[in-house]
Amino acid sequence: MKRRNFIKNTALASTLFYVPSFVKAFNTIDLKSIGYKRLVIVQLSGGNDGLNTVIPYNNDIYYKNRPIIQLKSDVLKLNSELALHPSLAPIKNLYDQGYLTIINNVGYPNPNRSHFRSTDIWHTASKSDEYLTSGWLGRYMDSFGKNPYNAIEVDESLSLALKGKSLSGMAVKNAKQLYRNTQDPYFKKVLEHHNEQHLSEHNLGYLYKTMIDAKNSAKYIYNSTKTYISNQEYPDNPLGTQLKTASEFINSGVDCKVLYTSLGGFDTHFNQKGRQDRLLTIYAESIDAFIKDLKKNDTFRDTLILTFSEFGRRVKQNAANGTDHGTANNVFIIGENLQKKGIYNDGPDLSNLDENGDLKYTVDFRSIYATILNKWMNVDDKIILNDTFTPLTFL
Amino acid sequence: MNSKQIQHLYWRAGFGINPNELNNLKKNSKKELVKEFFLSSKRSTSLKISHPNYSYVMGNNLSAEQKKKIQREERKRLIELNIAWVERIFNPKELLRERMTLFWANHFVCKDNNSVYIEQFNNILRENALGNFSDFVIEVSKSASMLKYLNAKQNKKQSPNENFARELMELFTLGVGNYSEIDIKESARAFTGWNHDKNGDFVIRQRLHDTGEKKFFGKSGNFEGEDIINIILEQKQCAKFICEKIYSYFVNSNINEHHINQMVHQFYPNYNIADLMEYIFLSDWFYNEENIGTKIKSPIELLAGINKTVPIKFLEKKQLIYLQKILGQQLLNPINVAGWEGGQNWIDTNTLMLRLKLPSILLTNAVISLAGISEFEDSYEQYLKSKKSRKSYIKIKQDWTTFQQNFSKLNAFQIEDILFQVKPSKEASKLLKEIDSHNPKDYCIQLMSLPEYQLC
Repeated sequence: MKRRNFIKNTALASTLFYVPSFVKAFNTIDLKSIGYKRLVIVQLSGGNDGLNTVIPYNNDIYYKNRPIIQLKSDVLKLNSELALHPSLAPIKNLYDQGYLTIINNVGYPNPNRSHFRSTDIWHTASKSDEYLTSGWLGRYMDSFGKNPYNAIEVDESLSLALKGKSLSGMAVKNAKQLYRNTQDPYFKKVLEHHNEQHLSEHNLGYLYKTMIDAKNSAKYIYNSTKTYISNQEYPDNPLGTQLKTASEFINSGVDCKVLYTSLGGFDTHFNQKGRQDRLLTIYAESIDAFIKDLKKNDTFRDTLILTFSEFGRRVKQNAANGTDHGTANNVFIIGENLQKKGIYNDGPDLSNLDENGDLKYTVDFRSIYATILNKWMNVDDKIILNDTFTPLTFL
Repeated sequence: MNSKQIQHLYWRAGFGINPNELNNLKKNSKKELVKEFFLSSKRSTSLKISHPNYSYVMGNNLSAEQKKKIQREERKRLIELNIAWVERIFNPKELLRERMTLFWANHFVCKDNNSVYIEQFNNILRENALGNFSDFVIEVSKSASMLKYLNAKQNKKQSPNENFARELMELFTLGVGNYSEIDIKESARAFTGWNHDKNGDFVIRQRLHDTGEKKFFGKSGNFEGEDIINIILEQKQCAKFICEKIYSYFVNSNINEHHINQMVHQFYPNYNIADLMEYIFLSDWFYNEENIGTKIKSPIELLAGINKTVPIKFLEKKQLIYLQKILGQQLLNPINVAGWEGGQNWIDTNTLMLRLKLPSILLTNAVISLAGISEFEDSYEQYLKSKKSRKSYIKIKQDWTTFQQNFSKLNAFQIEDILFQVKPSKEASKLLKEIDSHNPKDYCIQLMSLPEYQLC
């Protein structure tokens, strides 16, 4: 059994506990890092207001529509038209170094303004009137994954995005706790008698197989990470904690291609300003720490970070100094090897809105997925998306 | 019928059976057993929680603060309704009706943040669960929640919205591929102007309603929405589609064409649901070995089954909601219009570990983490607040007296027989022999923690 040997080997490797982390990092690079690409996703849940994230600061229509919540004086200018929210200084820094691509007006035809439905659409990469039960990363697992830990959500339960038909990713918030859960002495005893060869194809066999997967995966992740301690300081907030865990998985060489994280609270129907300020600060500071951590371990060059939100918000502010659910939004791509750096395409056309007063999309989010699958993860995107999308040129 | 077959009937047409109940039924014939299901479900008892006077909800002149407040209160009432439904499933009087209600809720999938309307909708499911499918479709189509959920408001003569017409045929009656795009366009016109008033009662807004001629399934006429539904039900495909869905839920997800044909013959053209269900439960093939113990329990079935063995009461409502959520099936909050796929789709490494731990979590007060109660936190501050109380013991009251009355006299084999519908794997049997089975409480929890218990 190859896997068993592998686990034994990693257990042996744990005696490297006292080796300074940069030496270990060196080892892992030699062994696996060449051509080993990872995708990290940061989902901003609730619908982040894209227009106050990447601000069309020279556009009168923007100011007319947002008399109270407009941002003006202290925005971080990117070019003559667009600027970043003042809380995003660390992100501006990435932009200046050529590590950021901003794709504007990302959406899909017939946009849905419900959080749940639009999140589903982004998770499953479906059309707006199509209902799929597997996620796009789950289908990546179906076709190219080997073990559940190849795609990890740093959370307690698994999003639809990572649910496959035959193989799903796994949710790991705390490797040690998960390990302890699966090492329950009773479960150990149950599995003592079972091995994968004897399992039937029926539902009972499937349950035992999943149980073995859970136990082995938890053990593998725990053994891989227990010796790694990040010395990077992260901000104490939910996203910071998730990204710290993600970096531990990456830097200790866990065989995962996808890491999924999220930050909630962006549903800013009222008093948007203070709330969005705080959330974007959390986002920017956490990403900043994460990238510093990856750089120290020389893993940034093999990591691509995708940030999205299920929809943007309406151009016109509402009576409660907030914004209502909208449509197209901007997407951030962060990485060291971007082919088209900076601002990828024209910002939103505020003089050409749909009948609800929302932005019209110009880039289908699935073409971003297709580009990442094809050019970053080196797999056939058509198998996963069941459709053909023209790849973009940011990679 | 032997015990396993009676248990099978009770798992599929109800939510499991306990030893004393089984004992009382052992001598009955199949006919008697099945008849009892229909007798006890003759009446329909609505599910009701208390609502304040709701006329103000629809008012347009509310401030953002007021709206927020109402939304918050409504979320609480939806939780209440969810809990009331789970409690109903745990202690049903009209057993088959409740089982069918749960089934139909995943067929006529609907969601609403208005607690009055979704309660009405839930009771439409309950009242029609064993009635006539044709009346059922019409009532569902005219319910406030469904009208809202499938964008009836946007369906106007001047600019028809096809969402409802499409889902009606794709999900509720015919199945994908059994109608044309023209059928959808034309039928959408017949439903234009369909709406509801403040009380949730159906109204047609004549100004927005298209009374002109429509061509639908080869017929033409000034069809109204009801006509469209009647024409759909004239298609035998509709009966077949419903029979297949019922078969894969109640019998086996591997469809047996031969059995389906028999069912369609029974169901079409009268669409009497009770007759169809009776036909299934009286058939020989329902009790075939390949249909017993092969279904992966849904989270609600799993919870209800544990409750059948040891009656439990959740002392903190939010914990029950959260459990449903992390197990992947939160009542009143379906994953999407197509509903939960079920079967192996319930299972991933995380949900399975939780499912296996569930008996000890519920019955021995094991800790589970309770982070992230709501998907969209109202605010980051709220998240931080909840962070402090993230790990808590799940607060449950178990009724061990009832358990003892049922299990104290049973030996290990009898306990195994009543808890497992599937023959345990060889390895599991070996393990069970090593376990000390003298304490029925511990032994039951151990059995329920095995993958075998996940099946019914």
